[in-house]
Amino acid sequence: MSDNQFVDQLVVPGDVVLDLSSMANQTIKLGGGLRQESDAISVTKAGKLRLSKPNKYWVESSQKRYVPSVEDSVLGIVVDSRSDNFIVDIKGPAVAFLPVLAFEGGTRRNIPKFEVGALLYVRVVKANPGMNPELSCTDASGKAAEFGPLKDGYMFECSTGLSRMLLRSPPCPILEAFGKKISFEVAVGLNGRVWVNAASPSTVIIVANAIMRSESLSVAQQKIMVEKLLQNLNIST
Amino acid sequence: MEQRLANSWRLTVNEKKFIETALLPALRIDGRRPFDYRNLTINFGKHDGSGEVQLGQTHVMAFVTAQLTQPYRDRPNEGSLSIFTEFSPMADPSFEPGRPGQAAVELGRVVDRGLRESRAVDTESLCVLSGKSVWAIRIDLHILDNGGNLVDAANVAALAALLTFRRPECSLGGEDGQEVVVHPPEEREPLPLIIHHLPIAVTFAFFGSESSVVIDPTHHEEAVTGGRMTTTLNANGDICAIQKAGGEGILQSVIMQCLRIATVKAGDITEKLKKAVDSYNTERALKKIKRHPSSTLMDVDGAHSNSREKQSPPAFKKATSEFPSHHTRKSNKLENVEGETNSSEQRNTTKNFIGGPSSWDPYSKGVDPDFLKASLALRGASTASKKQEVSKNEKMHGVAKLEETTKDVNEGFLPVEAAQAEQPTRGEKTLKDAVKPKNRRKKNQSSTGAS
Repeated sequence: MSDNQFVDQLVVPGDVVLDLSSMANQTIKLGGGLRQESDAISVTKAGKLRLSKPNKYWVESSQKRYVPSVEDSVLGIVVDSRSDNFIVDIKGPAVAFLPVLAFEGGTRRNIPKFEVGALLYVRVVKANPGMNPELSCTDASGKAAEFGPLKDGYMFECSTGLSRMLLRSPPCPILEAFGKKISFEVAVGLNGRVWVNAASPSTVIIVANAIMRSESLSVAQQKIMVEKLLQNLNIST
Repeated sequence: MEQRLANSWRLTVNEKKFIETALLPALRIDGRRPFDYRNLTINFGKHDGSGEVQLGQTHVMAFVTAQLTQPYRDRPNEGSLSIFTEFSPMADPSFEPGRPGQAAVELGRVVDRGLRESRAVDTESLCVLSGKSVWAIRIDLHILDNGGNLVDAANVAALAALLTFRRPECSLGGEDGQEVVVHPPEEREPLPLIIHHLPIAVTFAFFGSESSVVIDPTHHEEAVTGGRMTTTLNANGDICAIQKAGGEGILQSVIMQCLRIATVKAGDITEKLKKAVDSYNTERALKKIKRHPSSTLMDVDGAHSNSREKQSPPAFKKATSEFPSHHTRKSNKLENVEGETNSSEQRNTTKNFIGGPSSWDPYSKGVDPDFLKASLALRGASTASKKQEVSKNEKMHGVAKLEETTKDVNEGFLPVEAAQAEQPTRGEKTLKDAVKPKNRRKKNQSSTGAS
């Protein structure tokens, strides 16, 4: 099958990765970045082709812009507040709406007050092309589950690929290496925003800069970088 | 309205608070100390008078051009200097195309004041004909990427461009001596501007609550800052201009401290700028080596390579020509030596056409073994500058220059033709020798035999 060559390889739009005429009576599931044109499956987005056995294919790409999709956890910044929802920027093509009641135990009486510039960890509920996405500060069952405003700390922007890497399990090497020596908390939004908080500002700065630089490094290089940074930190503190 | 809201970068409350709290123990978000500058790199373009500066993420380009105009009525003896800024929308989502906004005008004004009020550029030397014709220098600043602190970067870019700019030489001619004749660069070497000193802009940002001061703010720090001050001063310690762009009130002692720090930083930046300009000028000079026409007539028999070598250093002059050398007897044109002889035919560009047949070669007598040894010896004895050339031009140019008869490539020069005719022999032998003596000898013989 031709797809064996392409799995885990970089593909560009136009590449035909699967020829369906040779596979009869099989169900294939296509994820993002792939398109069916009669008998051929071709790529529409540049990135790495991935296969999840037995039959799920998709293309993983990394970019600075975020395209909102349902059930993503993202970091949003409050831009404005209306009577029935907050206007929140999630780095997408349009601003998103967060209903004032979309909080655990939210009623008309206890509407939270967010100032302009507040950072929120939210979940995307509706995301249709051309419409403003809708958000919520609860999970699907209505519990708060860590969603809501984030206090203090430092937020920086990165690419969508890096945020996916930070959310992998098993955890990505940089977070693991840092986690063994220093205590910090991190909130990663799939829209390319990361928030870091720790007891001292120097820790925050070191972790934030290390994460920003780790996108193109291999596993071993990431570990080396973290070691060097921790040495400097221990020397100075 | 909502569309615009979606595209701009936003500052969070968290970030603002964090930047300010981190400054208490003198920490900045990119790991610098409060009085550290970001990495400054200065590059030059292909044309004289274009400079490109990168200060961390900030990227600015400057171009200098000159035009003859009428002077101002009240200053008939002085040329003029004008600055135009363009904030390209690719630099920042908040930049709009079209008329310059307030920040653009302010940037242009600060750079302009530093150069004009301090009389850094000598405007009286720009006068050609008093009251009638003067040079108007125009500096265009293009902001390519806004990573914060545009003023400092734009100032260095403007200085870099001014230092490498060359204006055409002009003289008075015509019947009554009132006509201005502008000489093209091929005729007369263009002249640099007279610049008395280098005013360097150093920007400080103040953060409200704790009176923290930082130098060279990044884009994020600029968004959080309470007030900003730009001081323009030169390495001699003269203060050319100060611009305090509103915001917080600052104590006098803080301002004096900033000025002291700025003097040190201005010295560093001036050093870097001078070094970059010097290396650019040497490279430029190496590219334009002018050969004396007289020496070509003397070395007709080709045995006195030593004498030729003596002539080459004194003939080291800036000229607009590239060194010609002939690899093929077939082409009539002067060509640049760019690569191996076989492929150079296709790759050579024609710079100056000098008439005269190059296939006519009265001096060809094959490879002269003495000559060959001399050329190898000369290669070892070449000067450092020529070695630079050698390394740059794939080792052919250096020896070619030594061995070639020195030339003046101005068009219509008769001696050149003799030199040119003579060239093929010399050029071919020595150039090939420079690379692979043994192999080339065989090729030489075959090619010389073929002609």
